[in-house]
Amino acid sequence: MDLLNQLETILESDPLIDEVGLIHPSQFITLCKECSESSNSSSDGAFRPANTKFWNRDHKLGISTEILLPVCKAAKSAFMDAMKQYKTHSDLSVNKREDKNMVYGPSSSCQSFESEVMKHSRALLLLSCDLGTAWNARKLVVSKKQQLPMFTDELHLSALVLSYSHKSEQAWSHRRWVIKMIAEKYSNLQQIIAKESELVEKIAERSKMNYRAWNHRCWLVSYMTREQMFYELKKSRDWAGLHVADNSCFHYRRRLMLGISENKQGDDPSYDVENYQVVKEELDLNEALIKRYIGREALWLHRRFLSLCLIRHLMTTTNDISCHSTSMDNEINIFLDKELRLLDSCSTIQDMEFEDFEGQAMYSTMYFLWLIKQIPEFRKTELQEKLKAGNLKNILHKTCPERSFLWDVLEL
Amino acid sequence: MAELAVDKHVKYILAVEKNKDSFESVVMDHLRMNGAYWGLTALDLLGKLDSVNVDEVISWILKCQHESGGFSGNIGHDPHILYTLSAVQVLALFNKLDVLDIDKVATCILSCVLLMKLFAHRWLYESIVSSCTSCFAQVSKLDITGLQNEDGSFSGDMWGEVDTRFSYIAICCLSILCCLDKINVEKAVSYILSCKNLDGGFGCTPGGESHAGQIFCCVGALALTGSLHYVDKDLLGWWLCERQVKSGGLNGRPEKLPDVCYSWWVLSSLIMIDRVHWIDKEKLVKFILDCQDVENGGISDRPDDAVDVYHTYFGVAGLSLLNYPGLKAIDPAYALPVDVVNRIFFSG
Repeated sequence: MDLLNQLETILESDPLIDEVGLIHPSQFITLCKECSESSNSSSDGAFRPANTKFWNRDHKLGISTEILLPVCKAAKSAFMDAMKQYKTHSDLSVNKREDKNMVYGPSSSCQSFESEVMKHSRALLLLSCDLGTAWNARKLVVSKKQQLPMFTDELHLSALVLSYSHKSEQAWSHRRWVIKMIAEKYSNLQQIIAKESELVEKIAERSKMNYRAWNHRCWLVSYMTREQMFYELKKSRDWAGLHVADNSCFHYRRRLMLGISENKQGDDPSYDVENYQVVKEELDLNEALIKRYIGREALWLHRRFLSLCLIRHLMTTTNDISCHSTSMDNEINIFLDKELRLLDSCSTIQDMEFEDFEGQAMYSTMYFLWLIKQIPEFRKTELQEKLKAGNLKNILHKTCPERSFLWDVLEL
Repeated sequence: MAELAVDKHVKYILAVEKNKDSFESVVMDHLRMNGAYWGLTALDLLGKLDSVNVDEVISWILKCQHESGGFSGNIGHDPHILYTLSAVQVLALFNKLDVLDIDKVATCILSCVLLMKLFAHRWLYESIVSSCTSCFAQVSKLDITGLQNEDGSFSGDMWGEVDTRFSYIAICCLSILCCLDKINVEKAVSYILSCKNLDGGFGCTPGGESHAGQIFCCVGALALTGSLHYVDKDLLGWWLCERQVKSGGLNGRPEKLPDVCYSWWVLSSLIMIDRVHWIDKEKLVKFILDCQDVENGGISDRPDDAVDVYHTYFGVAGLSLLNYPGLKAIDPAYALPVDVVNRIFFSG
């Protein structure tokens, strides 16, 4: 049996394969030995131990690096051939239908071309995951059928590809297409959204700061209910605390918070209180992390967002209820004083030996400067007073001389 | 400081094409059109575009064009807006835009938006899935003004993925073909602005994380449509200049390692919003030069990594933006040599 055929047979006989990886020939021998020692069952023995090209056990598939090139070439040409035949055939059947005004019904030969396209594109995508033409071919076939199990299969294949190629743009995009198709036909998406979110978390764990993965998770937010957003915010809290350099995770939390604040039904004031609470809690968590993990850029950038949200929230509340304006004014003052104290404690370089403290001093200074830039005009005078007392200019020159031009930009 | 190894890089770029039997080249085969753009633009900036056979390149490019007007990454693949821009850019490099049926390419870009709409509405469904050709034929018969998505966004192909990258590509492409008036620019701009974040940066879609590559696309599209006044230049410049790390290199997002390709994405954006003096240019030049393979040619993402044609182009383009001596100047919005852009707009 040729290599492509072997691979396709394995994929067909074990539809539950959930992970693919490449194996060096030297690892093969060890793996096969381990197998024969640990189990005597012969259920999936057809491709072991004599086979040193593929390894398949516990729904994991290993492919030898040695055969990568020939198998990939074979899969590609098989796919291209199948696609050509499929297209010719469906063009013919369209013409026939137009001529005789026939009712649509797939012929058996068309079905066999379809299954060839599906079979070869699957093998090909496992080896060359960004081949858009192969993903498109699958979209074409699947959209003709409009069957839920087929859509689910596509999600499975995409997850399989992502199990070893975490950043495959095409695989992520394919998922979105499938989900949109499902959304059009079946209204209840909540379960799928929850599963997608879990998948991203699983992949993000193995592949740090993965833009494509987190972008996918952000995309999901537009399909979430308010409750789901709260749940996601709660669920990703611990993860964020353990991955403080992962800006993408914090961006996801920002996206959720914005989603929550935009999700207003009528003028229910309890929503406002809830939104305010979310930002306050996040600020507290952020401060705790900033103090625990010294000099992390992502944490300080996250704080810029949170502070701005809080100040804006206080401002709008001030405008709405003018009689409370003094108390809100007061709250902004209290907040800014608190931030100044944080700046104070973070901008002193405690230990020259470690770069982290230098980073902390720089990020905290830049954080405060940024806040001045973004704070509405009429608050600036009092802030400037505070800054003079806080001696920010000197700190800026000391901690990040290369950015000291920003002082002039701010016209302070 | 090391110098730019011009001859070595030229040799490297010309040799890339010949190495076709590695696994890498097989899996990259489908985006050869992008590769052609990177390699050939780099050669032009280095002043060596005459070392390639123009007719060979042009005839291959035309073989990648589909009946719809769009281009694929290589012969036999599906068309996508990503490859369409590269094809148009390469034709511009060689002053061969006249081989194109401009209406057809423009219609294709517009149809990318329309097709998705039709697809969603299920009318013409059969002809879309079974025969794109006949669908495109019907599309081009329709009045194409006002056919953009409601929100002004663009899809990459008939399958509908939306991304601000595609907005840039559509706008850049139509601008090179001098028919920007065929789309609703105002709506396109407002979609891009809806992808702006509180940090001043832009993402792929509304609410997406800021990323230097996406920022280039959005700022470029805004520049090409004369809409830069919608950008808070100080705020965006602030985010962009914070991409410079200690080594002098630029990263694309917070906490990431520097990478030569961001010398292009970040730098061109800073130039377009007039804030390039906010970074240390000398240190950046040194970083790019440190990423060269001075023996075999080519530029890598970071010092001592393996070189590739993608980073070679972005390294050379970055140096060009930094006015490195001996290189042609490159236009930060069109990503084409300035003389090529001038030829498009200022010659008969």
